[in-house]
Amino acid sequence: MTGLYTPYLMRVDEIIDETVDTRTLKLSFKDPKVAQSFSFVAGQFAEYSVFGSGECTFCIASSPTRKGYIECSFKKVGKVTSQMRELNVGDTMGIRGPYGNSFPLDKMKGKDVVFIAGGIGLAPVRCVIWNVLDLRKDFRDVTIIYGARSEADLVYRRELEDWKNRADVKLHVTVDPGGQGPAWQGEVGFVPSIVEKASPAASDAFAVVCGPPIMIKFTLPVLEKLGFAKDRIYTTLENRMKCGIGKCGRCNIGPVYVCKDGPVFSAAQLEKLPNEF
Amino acid sequence: MRKAFITQENLSVLSGDLERAGRKVVVPRPSATGRMEYGAAQSGSLTHLGGALPARSLKATFLPPTEALLRWKNAKDDVVLEPSEPKALPTVVLGARPCDAAALAILDKVMDWDYHDDPWFARRKATTIVSLACDGVDSSCFCTSVGLSPDTTKGSDVLLTAVDGGYLVEALSEKGEALLEENKTRFTAARGEAQAAERRKAATDKVRKNLAVDARTVKDWLGGNFEHPFFKLGSRCHACGACAAVCPTCHCFDIVDEPEGLEGGTRRRNWDTCQTSKFTLHGSGHNPRNDQHARLRQRVMHKFHIYSERFGETLCTGCGRCARACPGGMDLLEALREIDKLRRSSRPSAAPIVTPTNPPISGGAR
Repeated sequence: MTGLYTPYLMRVDEIIDETVDTRTLKLSFKDPKVAQSFSFVAGQFAEYSVFGSGECTFCIASSPTRKGYIECSFKKVGKVTSQMRELNVGDTMGIRGPYGNSFPLDKMKGKDVVFIAGGIGLAPVRCVIWNVLDLRKDFRDVTIIYGARSEADLVYRRELEDWKNRADVKLHVTVDPGGQGPAWQGEVGFVPSIVEKASPAASDAFAVVCGPPIMIKFTLPVLEKLGFAKDRIYTTLENRMKCGIGKCGRCNIGPVYVCKDGPVFSAAQLEKLPNEF
Repeated sequence: MRKAFITQENLSVLSGDLERAGRKVVVPRPSATGRMEYGAAQSGSLTHLGGALPARSLKATFLPPTEALLRWKNAKDDVVLEPSEPKALPTVVLGARPCDAAALAILDKVMDWDYHDDPWFARRKATTIVSLACDGVDSSCFCTSVGLSPDTTKGSDVLLTAVDGGYLVEALSEKGEALLEENKTRFTAARGEAQAAERRKAATDKVRKNLAVDARTVKDWLGGNFEHPFFKLGSRCHACGACAAVCPTCHCFDIVDEPEGLEGGTRRRNWDTCQTSKFTLHGSGHNPRNDQHARLRQRVMHKFHIYSERFGETLCTGCGRCARACPGGMDLLEALREIDKLRRSSRPSAAPIVTPTNPPISGGAR
């Protein structure tokens, strides 16, 4: 099958409810040849589709080191994500991609890596986390700081448990004040203040940050205060897109096409962009 | 490249010849309402091809307002996809306005940027563009401000210029040469060159009077002045999108699914415009361009900054259709005049926007 706008067909293999409105789908390629040839790098995105509702842009949330399947995590907010929630195991979806650039894993090798995520922003970060953990010896200290509004809003809970139990990962999980239940063992406080408290060493480290714009806005100054250089802080933007391949004209931020120049940008690059994201 | 001459009568005969040879012939002609539009030629009876600029450009011939990308069929426990073969009928446009032909060459850039847009290029390949040096210049034309002219050859395969008794004919590409060669009995030796040059110069001089700004010089000012108060220019904009619909270079599109009963449906791409609020609206409710000023700024930026930064081309042919169509009286000529004034009076801007370069990607299935 050819055609720039023709998706690969995927089978829904597994459905994992992350929170009350957020879900992860594990998908495998129906065509064994595509399953063999499809490869991507951490940070790239895809156009996912359910036939009848259309296409939607998400990151690939699984790690490129895990072959044979991909995962996407989504929150039900609109037409496509609503129909995606109706899918059962065995149902068919489509995917076009992978598109866009990636996190600079080559540069991060041999350095400390600090992952900071808020809410469902953990999805793109999780892709990089597993990529790093699967090649653990190539990297130095790994710190993960993750926060959500409440305990019930934490995603990938089984993996948080896994990371907590690993000796080679420092994990800080936090919920916003008031979001903790009586049995909550983690931190309480907003992500930027937990980053400050955790105070990861910046001297030879990269930071990967993703979450709501407000979280990113207040986390960047904290990282800079800790000594992180702006060209060592990376985030991923998810502007609305349709084509994903630099044609449909939707994702411009000034002269930047998020789909082709991004979605991954350094804080140094973001600083030079007009405030339109 | 060869030059020739063709009479009005023979041009009409040629149109019939082309149709008999299985080609669709598109010409500018008055529609039922009297408005000039491009449309199918009435077999063998062409009248003069000149006159006013057609109300709509040739864009729809190459990027249809709505177009099927694929069909899906729901089978038992499965979905079957049938990608659409683009309808690319062998076509000859006779009497294209040179600005509309230039628009196609400009859009080739974005349509071939890493990813080759098959439907676009299938139709580009199947079409021969015979332009007519423009004799319908009006007060909204400003092609000379974007580096074009009423007789620009960009994007055309053949250029005609109306002279006494017919048209001077100039082949400009291999496709153009082939058209002349295949139909050589309809052409005679070139004549009227002096008159053609005179008429073309007169038309060019007329356009120059409309706007004495080189729109290519405003690029740097735009890049450094994103937040300039000038961009509070959306107050008169109704967000109707008429400017984008009539624009030969506006190419933004949407991709939507249209279910057809339970059996399946069609995924289509439809024209869209950056002038509507939903264009950039995120699922979360966040909208990066949340007022009409920002949306109008995007239109100006895309045409005179973003596209030239990326592709070395201004995304505008100076056809003036947006100025003619706007119900709010927004006028790109006026905007360019204003920007040019600001540019001249401003000192070099502090921090121009820098375009990050895309690091090479290893892997990827396509």
